[in-house]
Amino acid sequence: MAVSTTIAATDSAARLGRSRPVVSANRTSAIVGKVLVGLFVAFMLLFILGPLLWLGIRAFAGSWTYPNLGPDSWTLHWWQTVFSDHALAVAVQNSLFFAPLTVLISAVVCLPAAYAFARYDFFARKTFLIGLFATNAFPKMGLFATIASLFYTLNLINTIPGILIIHVLGTLVFMTWIPAAAFAAVPRSLEEAARDAGASKFRVFFSVTLPMAMPGILVAVVMSFLASFDEAQGTYLVGAPVFYTMPTEMYTLVLNYPKQVAAVFSILLSIPSVALMLLARKHIMGGQLAEGFQIR
Amino acid sequence: MSTTAQQRKAVPGSRGQQHGPRKSASTKKPKGKRTSRLSPLGFVLALPPILLILLFVGFPIVLAVAFSLGFTGGLNSVVATIGLNVHEADNWWGTLAAYQEVFTSSRFQADLLVTVVVTALSTLIVLFMAMGIGLYLKMKDGRMAKLLSGLAIIPLFIPVVIASWAILTFYSADGFLRSVFAQFGLQGPVWGYTAVAIVIGSVWTSLPFAVLMISSGLQAIPDAMIEAARDAGASFPRIVYSILMPMAFVPIIIASTFTAIGVIGSFTVPYFTGPNAPNMLGVELTNFFVSFNQPQQSVVMAIAVFLVASVIAGFYVWANFRSAKDQGRV
Repeated sequence: MAVSTTIAATDSAARLGRSRPVVSANRTSAIVGKVLVGLFVAFMLLFILGPLLWLGIRAFAGSWTYPNLGPDSWTLHWWQTVFSDHALAVAVQNSLFFAPLTVLISAVVCLPAAYAFARYDFFARKTFLIGLFATNAFPKMGLFATIASLFYTLNLINTIPGILIIHVLGTLVFMTWIPAAAFAAVPRSLEEAARDAGASKFRVFFSVTLPMAMPGILVAVVMSFLASFDEAQGTYLVGAPVFYTMPTEMYTLVLNYPKQVAAVFSILLSIPSVALMLLARKHIMGGQLAEGFQIR
Repeated sequence: MSTTAQQRKAVPGSRGQQHGPRKSASTKKPKGKRTSRLSPLGFVLALPPILLILLFVGFPIVLAVAFSLGFTGGLNSVVATIGLNVHEADNWWGTLAAYQEVFTSSRFQADLLVTVVVTALSTLIVLFMAMGIGLYLKMKDGRMAKLLSGLAIIPLFIPVVIASWAILTFYSADGFLRSVFAQFGLQGPVWGYTAVAIVIGSVWTSLPFAVLMISSGLQAIPDAMIEAARDAGASFPRIVYSILMPMAFVPIIIASTFTAIGVIGSFTVPYFTGPNAPNMLGVELTNFFVSFNQPQQSVVMAIAVFLVASVIAGFYVWANFRSAKDQGRV
């Protein structure tokens, strides 16, 4: 139907003998357009990268007097401060402990569900999908406050399982929705062809379905890792003062240390995110993330 | 609207089942969809995350609602004992005393106003920027377009705590903006610790998702349609308004609802960049819980935010089901 509309439109344009009016558009508007785009790109550079650079420079700054656009002197002293601080090292360790474990638990819990959402119709399927979404609509901090009171009763406050539950909750949507879309996108015909060729159901899943859904799963893993790695509010409420992760440590750093120390710590905290994102960048830009957020 | 649906179906990757030329699909197989009968196996597989949510999200919310109504027994007894200024139920259905106290306080009203205004402004700006970038990507595919989309995705790489901190220092009294103004002997505005900084921070952190969502929606529209409209003499605004916007309707709605929901319940950005008072409710309900030790008032605020957020979420669900209906999936 759409195709026929297209053809009809092209046809009538051709029959009327109308040439493309766009080609003859005058020069000045093209130049104005270029300038506007250039200005927008410049604005975006400043808006997005400006704050990051401004903070990044601080990590190497000795002292900095206000109206100057650069520091008065350069030093690596702050890096030494961070690396020799025991509390900060523990925070790094905790973060690197909780994030991978969270991803693992989340994958075990969610990936079978993702497959089910993609391939089966079952009782309350739509309700389940919307229920997953609803966890996003309740304000995080309000939820954590109520969870905390439940955790007091269950003796989960200041425990590793307590923090893990908080972290896993934050990853459920990513780990279910994105792989579900990826599983749904695997063509049935390929699976059937493999079945016809005599492969067992498990063989088909592990040699056809899973590899084809892998980019989506990778994106989900990266997003979940970062969700856990960045989680601060819930971890603070449930974990402090026994467990500090890197983001929760950041809250105390900002208040109690010189600005430069927070800057160094920011750079350290960004390294894993940037590395992982670069790894999955192609798939994220390719639409795996966007695809996951449409209920089906 | 059936045009929209058919077109979207034909886009590769937008939905896996359609592949190969349309004609060959005429072999009347049961449409390669999900098997139509209800599958108990599927139900069991899907259960674990749902149970987790019921136990650690649904159940606490029920408890919280009960607590806000003054039911202080059972699992709520610990918070009720620790907390100050707790209103107890005096009726079989509870009491609205906590709601009345919170809703009539001028502090809450100011916070609510800030929350709503910041959310609306941030969502509008994000939507505007994401549409601009998405359209530019769709119409021109060059180095500039790549640079723009690359820039817009960067915030996804940066933890929110750091982004908030970076934005605060950039726009603070001794930040970059003021320093540049000072070079010319001018007094720049101080945006650190104001609602302006919250909007800037929210836009900064929400931009990548909106850009990904909207540009992937726009990319899925076949170029042939735009060409055809252009050949028929449609202007660029006309093409955007009559073809691109309606066809990318669902992704645009998803982008805006997720942005709005993300901003309205946010804590980190307003906590770092915003003023002490009035601030957004995400920060305020934390203050009431942690600093003032008034958990009941805090819960009431959380429920207020949730009510507004669920209205926004309703749009999302509606848009999704509308698109599902269009594509004949419901």
